[in-house]
Amino acid sequence: MTFVDQWISWLPALTPGLGVSLTLTGLCLLFGMPLGLVLALMLEGPVKMLRAAALIVVEVGRGAPALVLLYLLYFGLPEGGVTLSAFATGVISLSWTTGAYASELFRSGLAAVPAGQREAALTSGLRGWSGFRYIILPQAVRISTPPLASLAVTIFQTSSLAFVIAVPELMSKAYALGSITFEYLSVFALTSVLYGSITLLALAFVRLAEQRLSRHL
Amino acid sequence: MELATERTVSPPTLGGVKVLGLHKSYGKHAVLHDVNLEMTEGEVVSIIGPSGAGKSTFLRCLNYLEVPTAGTITIGDSTVDAGARRPDRACLDRLRRVTGMVFQNFNLFPHLTVRENITLPQMKVLGRSRDEANAVADSLLNRVGLAAKSEQHPARLSGGQQQRIAIARALALSPKVMLFDEPTSALDPELGLEVLAVMRDLADEGMTMIVVTHEMHFARDVSDRVMVMADGRVLELGPSEQVMTAPTHERTKKFLRAVLDR
Repeated sequence: MTFVDQWISWLPALTPGLGVSLTLTGLCLLFGMPLGLVLALMLEGPVKMLRAAALIVVEVGRGAPALVLLYLLYFGLPEGGVTLSAFATGVISLSWTTGAYASELFRSGLAAVPAGQREAALTSGLRGWSGFRYIILPQAVRISTPPLASLAVTIFQTSSLAFVIAVPELMSKAYALGSITFEYLSVFALTSVLYGSITLLALAFVRLAEQRLSRHL
Repeated sequence: MELATERTVSPPTLGGVKVLGLHKSYGKHAVLHDVNLEMTEGEVVSIIGPSGAGKSTFLRCLNYLEVPTAGTITIGDSTVDAGARRPDRACLDRLRRVTGMVFQNFNLFPHLTVRENITLPQMKVLGRSRDEANAVADSLLNRVGLAAKSEQHPARLSGGQQQRIAIARALALSPKVMLFDEPTSALDPELGLEVLAVMRDLADEGMTMIVVTHEMHFARDVSDRVMVMADGRVLELGPSEQVMTAPTHERTKKFLRAVLDR
């Protein structure tokens, strides 16, 4: 039995885990990216209270390692009387991490839109929300997209940490398989191939998207 | 002055300009001292002077891109009183509604097509339908000679073309006064010409215009009056021909010698 046959025979044990990893990542991006944008707007906005609140959320999200944040919520939420599944806890925790990092990327994107664009929007009567929505935001998102996409890839890899709170994602499946077969090296080699192929595929998409986005600039 | 009498088309709206005692300072550093300007509807005034004179600052105060410290600005029927309190939203909106602005660096919206650049403000600000806005955009693009470019993105166009589109975008909101902030300074001389041609047409059609410029021919031939500024003050303001050929102020003479005898 070559290692290729072995890997093929292991795949059915690992693919459900990969599915969970992808779902977890997808949900974290779904909640985390908009959260990041909202946090960025709160940080840039004029209301002091909102700015302070956003600052705390962002600094905790970036200051605490994703692993620590997972544990904090996993053990902290039940203390506060909130009992969630491990998966839900993982989604909340990693969304927090995603949002915190994304907010900084959105902020730098907003800052990179030339001042002249704001002035042109103002003198075209597009002030406040409409100027932001139609003129500033599209350009900021365009600027932020490449770093946001690499953040998404990082979050996919970070989702492997959810293994520590018993989310049945790829890493935990791999660990379980290793403890049955005792072929840890081979199992984790396959696992890294799985993570790697998804990552490379995602990065290829990002490159395509970048080209599409920058075609008018 | 004969150019002024050539204007046969009467402007559609009532829009004179009256600026009284405009003052602007950053902290203790004053950049505009008591600038006054009265213009009748349809008049074209060029503002010339050395850099750092406050020409652009003055222009940008007129639509509150810069906040003046004191003075009154009346354009058409909207008046804004600068000073103690920042004027309310509605006041500023009205002021910006009656002014159109053209920037040195065009500032077209790069993520929109040429036509969308002109239609978006119309739809969002004036509430025009897409069809109405498109009709206006197409007729304006025709007027600046760029009808063929309507589906392009700005980055594909030359600087001169971009600036003509910026003029069309400003005109689409039917301003009463057009403010030009060194519209040709970022262009090479040839491309500058096509922009100046559009501006000349606009002047001939009776648009009220204030033009900050280093184009001395434009100042002399197209504008009715020339205002010379230096160090945040108005040195002189008079009929173009007179200011350009027989300036009274010593500083003006020096400046004109520098720009004309080169």
